[in-house]
Amino acid sequence: MIHVERLTKRYGDRIAVRDLSFSVKKGEVVGFLGPNGAGKSTTLRMLTGFLEPSAGSIRIGDVDALARPIEARRQIGYMPEAVPLYPEMRIDEYLAYRARLKGVPRRDVKRKVDAALEKARVTDVRTRIIGQLSKGYKQRVGLADALVADPPLLVLDEPTAGLDPNQIRQVRDLVRSLAGEHTVLLSTHILPEVEAACGRVLILHKGELKLEGDTSTIRLTMGGNTALLLSLVGRGERAAFEAALAGTPGVRRVTDAHDLDGGLVRLRIEADGRPEIAEEVFRAVAAAGLVLRELRSEAISLEDVFTQITTHDADEGTPESEPPAPAEAAGATDEDRGAAGPGGAS
Amino acid sequence: MSASLIIARREIFSFFVSPIAYVVLTAWLLWSGGVFWVLMSFVAGQGVAQSASQNPISLIFGGTTLFYIPLLVFVPIMTMRLVAEERRTGTLELLLTAPVRDAEVVAGKYLAALVFWLAMWVPTLMYVWLVSRYGDVDPGAVGASYLGIFGIGVYYMAVGVLMSSLSRNQIVAAVLTFLTLGGLFMLGVLEFVFQDSEYKDLFSYASIWGHMEAFSKGLVDTRFLVFDVSIAAIALFFAVRAVASRRGAQ
Repeated sequence: MIHVERLTKRYGDRIAVRDLSFSVKKGEVVGFLGPNGAGKSTTLRMLTGFLEPSAGSIRIGDVDALARPIEARRQIGYMPEAVPLYPEMRIDEYLAYRARLKGVPRRDVKRKVDAALEKARVTDVRTRIIGQLSKGYKQRVGLADALVADPPLLVLDEPTAGLDPNQIRQVRDLVRSLAGEHTVLLSTHILPEVEAACGRVLILHKGELKLEGDTSTIRLTMGGNTALLLSLVGRGERAAFEAALAGTPGVRRVTDAHDLDGGLVRLRIEADGRPEIAEEVFRAVAAAGLVLRELRSEAISLEDVFTQITTHDADEGTPESEPPAPAEAAGATDEDRGAAGPGGAS
Repeated sequence: MSASLIIARREIFSFFVSPIAYVVLTAWLLWSGGVFWVLMSFVAGQGVAQSASQNPISLIFGGTTLFYIPLLVFVPIMTMRLVAEERRTGTLELLLTAPVRDAEVVAGKYLAALVFWLAMWVPTLMYVWLVSRYGDVDPGAVGASYLGIFGIGVYYMAVGVLMSSLSRNQIVAAVLTFLTLGGLFMLGVLEFVFQDSEYKDLFSYASIWGHMEAFSKGLVDTRFLVFDVSIAAIALFFAVRAVASRRGAQ
């Protein structure tokens, strides 16, 4: 559906996007992930034809988007980052206008508008004036706008930015429900969002593609030699635990050891991939005369991957370039952690 | 073309739900009504009109610039938001990512601006009606006058569209429009300052005063219409370039 090759965007001396190549297959839901300023919006704006690339090629479906921009744009429903809307219009008037502008034949406009209102769940407020809507509703109107002409490709720039956790969940469910009929490319700096909604992820940092792959495989490969994390809570001396585990086969490293209330200790264990590792740890702890209260394995989250990529790069980054914002990404994650699904505990 | 009509329709809707429309149209009607009253009082004092140039209709539309000076202010106010507002609020991004050509966007804005212009002038037909009740009105002169006014609209509104697409700030757009229209207006006035200048013809060609003096007598001088259309074409060409350049830059 999307095929991008060596896409570059320069603003004077600053390179916003450098040599970016990727493809998105029909029906996929792909997440574009990166800290603020990574070049996500710039890339999406080039895909949707708002910005002209400095170099490179873009194909949308079978169309060369740079040679035949109108045809390419006809296949895209785009929701820009700030969700700009005309505040003086009513929702249904606005959507009817957008439908007609996107070439929906006059006789189909009403049906398409009704369908988009329904999908974006704004039917009940359809006659409200846009300027008086809450942020969450505006976001959904933007989504309805992207959907109204029923395009095969949806490009959503930060669709959940500025929403409360409930609204985030609603938008995420909506995106997931679109997956079958539409190809979706969405950008975000919120990690659980990608893990929850996307099958595949592209990690962008400082205008370059750092990593690409299925959400699950990335988690595995980026774990590197750490195939498994164990979290352990037990009763006993911290040093005793560390000593007992240090000699256990399969255990690479013990991290994050700290005392909890009531004489309990918590440790994290980085281990290799052997399946019987939990039993090994149990045996080692028991042999040392210590008591185990909790032992569970944790999947490596995309957040770990993301932090690893973006902070590692910052160390060797040039001083004048924009620093990555892992803190901000992590901050945005906190409020949402409850909904993060598997691997959410850390 | 149909995309332009869709854009124009939305623009007209937005204009007429905004207070700008009512403030400008009210101010304009107050002003033109005042001018009409002053001129009619003058004609009434003169007794019988002596020549075509003192025919009341010619006097209204051609005998004075009083009618046209406020346009230098009202036109910028009406056109300033056309593109600048969309650029500031970001809705331009929606417009330019829709399957619509840049030229269609500009054409839509321009069509809307011409409708604003007509909305200003249609109410002035009541002055013609009033005059016709108390004296003779030459329908040819009236027709030519309104053709001339439409010509000025073609030219003024195009300049307004251009300036609005150059800036994201509406005030800047309005000031640029005012300076350009005011400058061209002054160029026309120079005709009377430099009577012997070799550029006198050029000055008179650019003068909306001379323009309307001819049309108000029923004289359809196509040179003025060519001037209007030429300025409009140049302005709209650059407006499309300005919108397109948005795609290349930040």
